[in-house]
Amino acid sequence: MDILGGLANGFAVAFQPLNLLWCFVGVLLGTLVGIMPGLGPPATIAMLLPLTFKMSPAGAIIMLAGIYYGAKYGGSTTSILLNMPGESASVVTCLDGYQMARKGRAGPALGISAIASFVAGTFGVLGLMLVAPPLAKLALSFSSPEYFGLMALGLAMVVLLAGRSMVKALLAALVGLWIASIGTDLFSATSRFTFGQVELLSGIDFVVVAIGVFALGEVLGNLETREGVQMLPMPRGLLNLLPTLQDLKDCRFAFANGSVIGFLVGVLPGAGSTIASFLSYGVEKAVSRRREQFGTGVIEGVAAPEGANNSETGGALVPLLTLGIPGSGTTAILLAALVLWGFRPGPLFIPDNPGLFWGLVASMYIGNVMLLVLNLPLVPLFAQVLRTPSYILYPLILGVSMIGVYSTSSSLFDLWLLAGFGLLGYVMRKLDYPAAPLILALALGNDFERALRQSLMMSEGSLSILVTRPISAAMLSLAVLVLLIPAFGRFNAWRLRALEQE
Amino acid sequence: MEGKTRNTGDIASGLALAALGIAVVVQARRWDYLGPDGPGAGFFPLWYGIAMIALSLVVLVSGLRRQSAPAAQWGKSGRALSAWLAFAAAVALSKPIGLLASFALLTFFITAVLYRRPLPVAAAVAAASTLGLYLVFPLLLGMALPVGVLGF
Amino acid sequence: MRIPVCLVAAASLLGATTAIAQGFKPTRTVEAIVHTGPGGGSDVFARAIAVMLEKEKLLPVRLQVVNKPGGNGNVAVAYVAEKKGDPNTIAFFTGNWLANYLVAAEAKFTIRDLTPVARLVLEPAVIAVKADAPYKTLKDFIGAATKNPGKLKQSGGSITSRDNVVRQLLQQATGARWAYISYPGGGQRVAALLGGHVDIMVIEPEEAGEHIRAGNMRVLAQVTEKRLARFSDVPTLKEAGFDVPVVPQVRGVVAPPGIPKENVEYWQALFHRLTQTPSWKKYVEDNQFEDGYLGSAELVTFMDGFNDRMRGILKEAGVKTVR
Repeated sequence: MDILGGLANGFAVAFQPLNLLWCFVGVLLGTLVGIMPGLGPPATIAMLLPLTFKMSPAGAIIMLAGIYYGAKYGGSTTSILLNMPGESASVVTCLDGYQMARKGRAGPALGISAIASFVAGTFGVLGLMLVAPPLAKLALSFSSPEYFGLMALGLAMVVLLAGRSMVKALLAALVGLWIASIGTDLFSATSRFTFGQVELLSGIDFVVVAIGVFALGEVLGNLETREGVQMLPMPRGLLNLLPTLQDLKDCRFAFANGSVIGFLVGVLPGAGSTIASFLSYGVEKAVSRRREQFGTGVIEGVAAPEGANNSETGGALVPLLTLGIPGSGTTAILLAALVLWGFRPGPLFIPDNPGLFWGLVASMYIGNVMLLVLNLPLVPLFAQVLRTPSYILYPLILGVSMIGVYSTSSSLFDLWLLAGFGLLGYVMRKLDYPAAPLILALALGNDFERALRQSLMMSEGSLSILVTRPISAAMLSLAVLVLLIPAFGRFNAWRLRALEQE
Repeated sequence: MEGKTRNTGDIASGLALAALGIAVVVQARRWDYLGPDGPGAGFFPLWYGIAMIALSLVVLVSGLRRQSAPAAQWGKSGRALSAWLAFAAAVALSKPIGLLASFALLTFFITAVLYRRPLPVAAAVAAASTLGLYLVFPLLLGMALPVGVLGF
Repeated sequence: MRIPVCLVAAASLLGATTAIAQGFKPTRTVEAIVHTGPGGGSDVFARAIAVMLEKEKLLPVRLQVVNKPGGNGNVAVAYVAEKKGDPNTIAFFTGNWLANYLVAAEAKFTIRDLTPVARLVLEPAVIAVKADAPYKTLKDFIGAATKNPGKLKQSGGSITSRDNVVRQLLQQATGARWAYISYPGGGQRVAALLGGHVDIMVIEPEEAGEHIRAGNMRVLAQVTEKRLARFSDVPTLKEAGFDVPVVPQVRGVVAPPGIPKENVEYWQALFHRLTQTPSWKKYVEDNQFEDGYLGSAELVTFMDGFNDRMRGILKEAGVKTVR
């Protein structure tokens, strides 16, 4: 079925009043779920599955997909306002988003987040619509060596998150790698670093560490002083609550960067939105003219990752719908949902169910518009959160963190871990160890190790497999280049100083 | 730069991380470096453990040689640490008295003790916040939170 | 009126055997523990059963699914073990529960500490290769593997999973050797096969079905006792000439330790009744399961046999067992 015809059909389906309603319900729920730390789309979708049996399959998938990409819109809200990642993909937004909020620019941060999400989300749907089947086939050629290259590139970005001390940043990353290895080794069933605790057999949940180190660390740090009833400077006037034209101009590349990187990473089964947002942030920082300011509240540092984690949803739907291969937790539940409704996701899904596919695609365009319309006016409302006096807000942050973490695993042990990582986050702040490298290494560590071991298993021990294959060689070269960027920076500074002295 | 004091933070963290690195390497040696089909469980930890030892020694040395940036101010950390202890206590109390009840106590502590608000205000804040969380999470969203002897 | 003692005895004996009518009856919501989060395999299974119990009106109270993920399933086991004596709790176990504790020294409780109730289903699997692979039968593949030991590759789950068990059994029976590469997600395993990075995999019939229909995969053999309805032209392992035991993926029910006998009998009778209802039969057929109902006594025997075999296989695979 040709694309325009399919799309026209799809809009006919998507514009049916009931389906519009489900789309709205889905994106609204998704936004709320994204705002709340801990609770994520997979659990929400699973809870709603019994209800979906009473709906038409089209309406049901429209709603569930709405939850999926809607959550990516909401996830940035607490990241920006409270340094608390709503979802693992929103961790990167904390880096510059929260710093912008501290400078009184919470409104523009929230606004650009919504706009970037819209642009990239729409791009992701376009990609899904236009290049899904050929891209899926291409994605299949991506194997462990290529994943290793991708993860190496992601980890190399640590040097871009370094701040003052490169050594401390690398140490933080190494600690992140260590935390990532806690648990049962997939290949040998050996328990690593579990200290005899049964709960550690499946490793430590990324969300627990992120909320502990970022949000709790921040709260504890702020509790040192009693000063300021108000937590953060409030932007004055309505105009200051939205991004300016200059902001939008600054973010032009970030929109493109986030859209493309997010989508491509999403297409790869197993590479999720966390690496997409880190990569996008890293690339943005690497090419930016003001790269030293990243981490202090630069708006492109918010636009790029936020865009990436939205277009990633479009990308992740590619292997799901064209091959029946789920790439992540949420797509796995969507797969289960499709199976429950009697569909057979696989290579013949789209030809067998064109109405469903095109209806979904059309609804995603509509959904992204709905989300933009929903989120932008809410920005001033959300920014009011910053008005809350600290003695009310900080305990609430602590409470919501506890509830959020408990909701993911119903485990008191995880609450203890949260407390422990909160203390770690505080100590790291005091001792000037940056938290972002730890989180990055934690997010990528397992995949990195796995990809390396899988590659060596495939090549029966020969490391050359990593450099003889073109894509992985290219990624590894890029990783090496990234690692050299700080060296370039120092070299440049040295060179400039030498020039000045002449 | 001359005349700076030793950075005790760097010394302490350098030592701690070196110790962690050594522990990691020791453990890693107990596992297989190379398994039957490929690298074993001890492969990766060995390498990042070694890197950890090396880099933490750099931090330790720079702390000793007074080369690093000024150390952190620990004077005000008492407040933060007591807040953390309160948080840990709240986690410990979640099982016996319920998560929301311990949250109420935590809020009261932070508001009354750390922020020196008058007691009635602190009590009001604790009650209101707890009620708010109760409405949103267990009631509206149907989440099951640890319920203690007080029944909520 | 004096009623003969023997009549009374007979009556009470009769009453005791119809455990549903008398003896024990759940009075409040029954908690069904699963070791996955919402949407995971066990969770979906438990919820389907809850729906069927309600539809067939077999349980007077609600069945509530409680997720206790973590610890590779051992957290759920510990949770159930700590509910000693609780009459209103059951748990759905899978093959994981039977294997994982063998390698995890951290597990304080194992499934052998719990009260077995019933085994419900067996999940068969099929052995698949890419459609353009040169192997038309399993013998072809084994032959190629024998000629080139260690060169061919299989994608699968963790080293303790059923995929590797099948591989170990075949390797032991034929002397062939091929490599095993673990991938954490089902999607990645299929992608590895379809991308040509591995040569063979063990896959659920449902998943394989679609790829076969699209012409991407070919099934060489099925890991079942009898041929599945939708794979009627694919030989079973035995029929293909390999005399290896069919190690199934199992699902069943257990209960906390220390519960009274009438309690166990109630659960057993309940699930026995369930497996005879039309909803259940349809469910089993739709999901391409094999009905594998075993009562609690036979379940114990099954678990013993499973354990011994698993221990042997793990040793062969070079995995250290701690129990």
